[in-house]
This record gives sequence, structure tokens and C-alpha cells, in this order.
Amino acid sequence: MPDFNYHSARAEKARINASLTTLWRTMLVLSAVGLAFAGAAFFILGSTYGWLCIGLAAVPMMIVEWRRGELRDIPLGKTDDLSDQLASDVLGLLPNKPTPLAIAQAALMTSGGQFMAVRFGITMNFFTNLLHDDPDASAEIWAEAHTIRERTGSHAITGAVVAVALVRIIPGYQTLLAHMKLEDADLEAGVRWHDHLRQLVHQHQAPRRTGGIARDWSFGYIPLLERYGHNISAEIAAGGLLQVDLEAHNQALDKMIEMFGTGGRQNVVLVGANGVGKSTLVAALAERLLDAASDLPSHLKFRQVFVLDSAALIAAAPGRGELENLIMGIISEAYNAKNIILCLDDAQLFFEEGIGSVDLANVLQPILEAGRLRMVLTMDEQRLLQIARRNPTLYNALNRVNVPATNREETLRVLQDKLLITEHQRHVIFTYHALTEAYSLSERYMHDIEMPGRAFKLLEASAGYADGKLVTAESVQHAIEETIGVKVGVATADDEREKLLNLEALIHERMVNQTRAVGVVSDALRRARAGVRNQDRPIGTFLFLGPTGVGKTELSKALADVYFGGEGKMIRLDLNEYVRADDVARLIADGADDPHSLTAQAMKQPFSVVLLDEIEKAHPQVLTTLLQLLDEGILRDMKNREISFRDTIVIATSNAGADRIREYIERGYKLEQFEEQITNELISDGAFKPEFLNRFDEIVVFRPLNKKELLQVIDLILAGINKTLAAQKIEVSVEEDAKLFLVDRGYDPRLGARPMRRVVQRAVENTVAKLMLAGSAMPGQTVHLSLEDVQSVFAGEDAARQIMESSDEV
Amino acid sequence: MFIVGLLGWWYGAGWRERAQMIGERLMKAYDFFSLDLLLKTLFAPFRQISAGKIRGGLDAQIRAFFDRLLSRCIGATVRLIMLIVGTVWTTILAVLGLIEGILWLFVPLLPIIGAVMFAIGWVPHAGL
Repeated sequence: MPDFNYHSARAEKARINASLTTLWRTMLVLSAVGLAFAGAAFFILGSTYGWLCIGLAAVPMMIVEWRRGELRDIPLGKTDDLSDQLASDVLGLLPNKPTPLAIAQAALMTSGGQFMAVRFGITMNFFTNLLHDDPDASAEIWAEAHTIRERTGSHAITGAVVAVALVRIIPGYQTLLAHMKLEDADLEAGVRWHDHLRQLVHQHQAPRRTGGIARDWSFGYIPLLERYGHNISAEIAAGGLLQVDLEAHNQALDKMIEMFGTGGRQNVVLVGANGVGKSTLVAALAERLLDAASDLPSHLKFRQVFVLDSAALIAAAPGRGELENLIMGIISEAYNAKNIILCLDDAQLFFEEGIGSVDLANVLQPILEAGRLRMVLTMDEQRLLQIARRNPTLYNALNRVNVPATNREETLRVLQDKLLITEHQRHVIFTYHALTEAYSLSERYMHDIEMPGRAFKLLEASAGYADGKLVTAESVQHAIEETIGVKVGVATADDEREKLLNLEALIHERMVNQTRAVGVVSDALRRARAGVRNQDRPIGTFLFLGPTGVGKTELSKALADVYFGGEGKMIRLDLNEYVRADDVARLIADGADDPHSLTAQAMKQPFSVVLLDEIEKAHPQVLTTLLQLLDEGILRDMKNREISFRDTIVIATSNAGADRIREYIERGYKLEQFEEQITNELISDGAFKPEFLNRFDEIVVFRPLNKKELLQVIDLILAGINKTLAAQKIEVSVEEDAKLFLVDRGYDPRLGARPMRRVVQRAVENTVAKLMLAGSAMPGQTVHLSLEDVQSVFAGEDAARQIMESSDEV
Repeated sequence: MFIVGLLGWWYGAGWRERAQMIGERLMKAYDFFSLDLLLKTLFAPFRQISAGKIRGGLDAQIRAFFDRLLSRCIGATVRLIMLIVGTVWTTILAVLGLIEGILWLFVPLLPIIGAVMFAIGWVPHAGL
């Protein structure tokens, strides 16, 4: 593409416009007004100078008018020449023979360039060191800009188009974009976004014909409807609607108009999940009916859409008969008025008995069947099916129109439109990253609402976390972290980084040895928080094998405590309670029916440790259900909602093979030598199917603890007891031989270290309690427990046991 | 370029745009008074008062007929008044628009006219 013609008439005009700064324009307006007033004053005084003033006033007035009418947005020229196709704001700022840097400077001063700077981070700083100042390189930029304009369908080569072209001529620009977490296609989406906003503004400024003063004179009075309904047509007539042109929505809208335009049953049920845009469609219908310029049949033009307010109705007429009378009154009023389309939003509220809803099927059914009053109902699929089951006749009287959830591209377009109002109301600006991040995060964590509503809801919440009035991806992450307690960003805070790097040490403050298990779990967490893990799976899935009381559950608790913020952040399921095939239903029950189901708990707490205890005891059907969780990090609940487990660490524990582990250890093998052997034995014994074991990231074998480790366990338990006693300002220390006694006493080959806690607590807490009551232990004191002290606690118990044993022998 | 550009626009696209603006203003007034709708519905019952079907004997039917007739008369009166007001207003706007369109053509000549009139020495106030 050739360079632009600096001396073309269009370029000259564009430069005149660029030179007319706000100051100049203000001065021109003031001088025109001042001279006109002065002229009038001179005439009143009878002076001929009035003619001079009036004559001079015409000059600034004409310049101001010229700018408003042409210079501000000079129409594109008729040729393919660059100076005819460049947006006039860019053209006016370009010097003769511009270098890439000069082009960048000009483009970034225009609204399109600033749009790309704010929403995508493509600022002048970005270009300063990357573009050279060789005027010959500009031809490449113009050629690229031309291609981008064609691909995006932009109305002109705007500042946004030029900014993207400038990025693309940088060698290796894709690496730069990757660093900014952007893709090539995102930049083109940005150009389309900017152009679309321009179109919206033009549309909004275009004159609207909505029927005028006598529009409703031929239609009846509707006092009841005005009281219990909400006239969305009136709202649209007053303020307009920023409507999105989505293919799916347009089809639904055409279908609605077709149904109301023909002679069949005059009702439409918009069926779709919460958040898909059913209400927006109703508003779009109202807007189209109000448009005098549309080619609608005359019996549809200027019909008004009223949404009935179910809460106001129920509040006004609490009694059953009263409500039915009121509804009949409203319906008859709407029918007689002849210009009303009644909308029952969340129509299930009118067809079911419950809190805030009332079953008016008997009243509404004949009206829907007769089809004389136009009605729009909105509800979700589930509710419609319930109505179909309860009342097939009513279901058959309804004309169904599906409103599907939007895909990613459509959602982003809807957001771009809807956020205009949010930006205006909240005085913030959303970056492109914020939109894409809201899409992916809401898709993952928000379950009760569909796209595009769910992403929009998250973005609205994110406006509260704007940084300097800019809503970025971080604001969105912050919003979701605050609302549902999940960590989604990469670890950046120093304390968190420190915690991640020292995770093993922190976990070992609570548990002894099992270094391999602690290591693999810590690695998984570090991968997740560094952002290098597979996002479509749980953070980590582990199978802990080993005898009872070796720390399997303790490691899970430690992890929940150290990293996830408390032992409460652990979802624990004892799978010995899921031994029948129909227990699967309990596993995935809806939270409203069973708040303790696995899916309900994960919905409430998506960032946690999921501990599946004694997995070998679960029914094979339950294990099959869990396969998807382990594989893809999702589980579908009873309502067929996808519940994400992608921010959980899933730990399954099992005692299967415990005897073999003990045997190997007693024979002097090290863990690494028989780990694989144990797994193979579990498969060959039929304890687990290979496809189940293959789903785990790691199968970790826990070995029984030796005496030395058990002594460390005692120290950990004592530390816990001292923490409890700290409130009384008393500390306890136990002598080494007493600890050995407690190890002998508390260790059980079948139960591992599990009884140890009970034994230590009894020995220490009982003794301290007695000492405190006797006044021998005072605040600030350290109580030393010797072997004798500890033995005495169990003396009575031992004596009793001896008597029992001797009586057995007798 | 400046003067040529300004005058070129003033007597070309600028004048067409001005005519379009005047036309839009007229259309807005026409839409506000909904003149075509007023004509189409001139004899329709006002606000659907007594407009529905009445079941009953001859008495009731006759009463309903006269009620409907009254409603149509009220409607026709109100609409006729509005039709007249709307037509007058639109006509005034049209005349003003025409004057505006013609004056537009003389604005660039104002500096010259002003200089000539200053030289002649005639003042509108003095002539009154």
C-alpha cells in the first residue's frame, strides 16, 4: 500500500480539525456570541458598528459549525488511497513522511489508540523501545493496517487498527503478546469492540420514533397493571436499550414476533437457565414493538410489555381468593386495553405453591389455552418439566422458545455492550483481560447462573476491586477469591511464596517423617500456585496407602491447615458409608437436599483438601463416579450442574495392603524398593481396578513408624497439649524415660500411633489437673513429669487388668 | 485551503445536512403529534371506554350503543384538537425551517454585507 498523501484535501481538513483544540473552540464560540450581542447592542444604540460586529460574528460561527458538521468526523473518501481510508482523527495528527514512532504517537492520541492502551495495555511505553524511526518502514504498517481493517470489518483505519498494525510489525511480537497474556486474535477482538462501541453511540444518537402523544389514546386505561406491573416499554421509550445482536437471540425474537403476529395461541414461554438473557429478550421485544420504523404488522406495533410483579401481588392479596380476583382483574384490564403483552418473569412462581409463589394454574390455564391475551412467560427447563408432569394440558397450551446459554465469543460481545452502563454508573473501565478472566473464572466457580449472566455478575462484583478505576484480571481474581474463598491467581505475595517454598518444613511441624508423601503433595501445590499445572484437573490427586495410625489423615489435615487456612478447609468423606450402589445418589446430592454431599461441600468450598477415607470399602459404582472427579476435576450433581474440583487436592486413603507393607518393612526393605510391588499386588488381589489407580498422580506408601519416630510423635502431641495449657500459663515437660514408657503403652501394631494421643493426653492432662487442684501447679510454672508420675497414672488400670487376667486364668 | 474548504462544505454537504436536520425536526414533530395515527383512529372510542361487547337485552344494547357513540365523540374531539395543534405547529416549523435554509446561504456573505452596510451608514434601530 502506498504512503498517504499528506497534501490531500481530506488530510488538510483533518489537520485543521486537529489544530482546533478545546481552547480554540471555546474562544470561537465566545467570540461569535460576544460579537452578535455587541452588534445587537450597537443597533439599539443606533450605531453602525453593529453591522461590523454581526458580519464578524459570522466567521467564528461558521468555523464552529464546519467543525461540528464535517471536520470532527470527516467522512471517508471514495478512493482506496490511504488518506481517504484513514480515520480523520489519526490523519490529522500524522506528520509528512511519518516514522513508525510518529505513527504510534498519532494513533495513541486518538480515541481508538487510547482504547487499546487502556483495555489492552498497548501504550506508548510499549512502543518506544520497539519501533524504529525509519520513514520507509511505514509502508509495512499501512499494509498491515489495511489487512486488519478488512479482517475486522472496521469502518475505517482507526487508531485502534493502527495500534494493532504497529504491534504486528514488531519482530517476534507474539512472544511479547504472550508475555502480556494476549493472543493475536484478542487484538482483533479489541478493534471490533472499539468499532462496535462507536456504532452503539451512533445508534443511540439516531432519532427514535416511538408513536407520539396519541399512541395510546385508542387503548384502555390500566390502573391495576400500572400498580402491580412494570412497564418496560415506557422505560425503553424514555431511555433506550443497549441491545446486543446475537444470532441466537435474534432467532428467538423473530419466533416471538411470528407467534404473536399469527393467529395461533398468543403466548410464548422463553425457556432457559438463569442468566441466559430471557429478560433481555423480553426487553428487546418491547423495543422492537415500539419502533415506528419497523416492518411489524399494525396489530403488533406500539403494544406495551408489562412484567407482573409477583411479590407485590402476593403482598397485596395474601388470601387465596383475593389473589385470584386480583389476577383476574389485571388480566381483564390487560385484555380490554388491547395493547398489552403481559410478561410473567420466573413464571413458575405463578404455577407452584411455596414461599413467595402461589399456584394460579386454574386461573391462567384457560387464558393461555384460549390465547386471546398475549403473554410471555420465562422459566428454566426444570420448572417447565415439572409443570409438564403436573399439568400436561397447561404444558401443551404453551409455545416454547429456547434461549440457549451463550458461548465464549457471544458472551464477550454481550459483556462489551452491557458493561458500557456499568462503566458509566461505577466510574470504572474494564480491560479486555478482565472480561476473559471473568468468563473463565465464572465458568469454573459459579454454578447457579448461566452465561452470559454469570460472567456479568462477576464483573459487576469486580468493579469494587478496581485498581485506580481500572478493572483488570487481578480485580476479577480478587473478587472471586473474596466471594468464594478460592485462590486463583499466581502466588505473588511474599508471605505466600515463603510458605510455598517451606511447605515441607511447615507440615513437619505437625507430623513426623513420611517425607516422600509430604514432598509429593508440596510439589503439587507449588506447581499449582506457580501457574504451571494443568488447569483442567484437580491440583493433585493422591492415593495414600499404609497401615492405620501412620499419618495419612494427619497429612491431609496438616495440608488443609498450613496451606488452605485451617482444618475446616477439608472435605472429609468416610467411604465406608458408601458401600451400596445407590449411595452414589448421596455422594452427588443437591445441596438443598443434603448439605453434606460431596458436590454440595465442594460447591461451598472449592478451595480445599478432599479426603476420601478408606476408599477400598466404597462400592465399585461409587469409585466409578469418582473417576471423572480424579480425571477432569469435575463431578455432575443431581441437578446435572458441573461442580469443579479443580482447586482441590484430592487425597484417598486406604489400609489395603497394610500387612504386606509391614512385612516388607520388617524384612528390611526400603519404601522405594517395594512401592510398585504393592500397587501391583493391590491390582492382582482385586482391591482396586488398574484404571482407578491410574487416575492418581501419585500412589504414596506410608510406612509404619519406628520407635524413634514415635518419640517425635509424642513431642508433637505434647506441643499440642502445651498450646492448650498456655491459657493457664502452665507448661509441661516429660522426661525421656517417661516418653519411652508412653510409646510402649500407646503403640499398637494394628492401630499404629493412633492410641498414642489418648494415652499421652491421659497421662499428662490427668496429672496436671490433679496438681492444679492440689495447688501444686501455679501459673508461670513448668510441670516436670517423671517416669513414676506417668506410671502412677496407669497403675490403677494395670492392677485392674491383672486382676481380670488372673480371674480369667482361674 | 481553509476558506475554500469551509465555503465548499457550507454550500455543499453543510447545506444538505442543514436541510436534513430541518426535515428531522419536522418528522419529530409529526411523530410527537402522531398525526397519521390521529387520522387513522379519529373516530375510535377514547381509551376504550364503553368499547367492549355487551351482552343483554335490547335496552342494554341501545345504552351501550349510545355509550360507545359518546366515547367516539369524545375521542374525535380530543383527536381533532390535537390534529389541529399538531398541524399548525408542524407548519410553523416548516416555515421556520425554510427561512433557516435560505438564511444559511447568506451567512458567508454576512462579513461583506456588514462592511457594506457599515459604509452606507444605515442602522435598523434608527429607521424604526
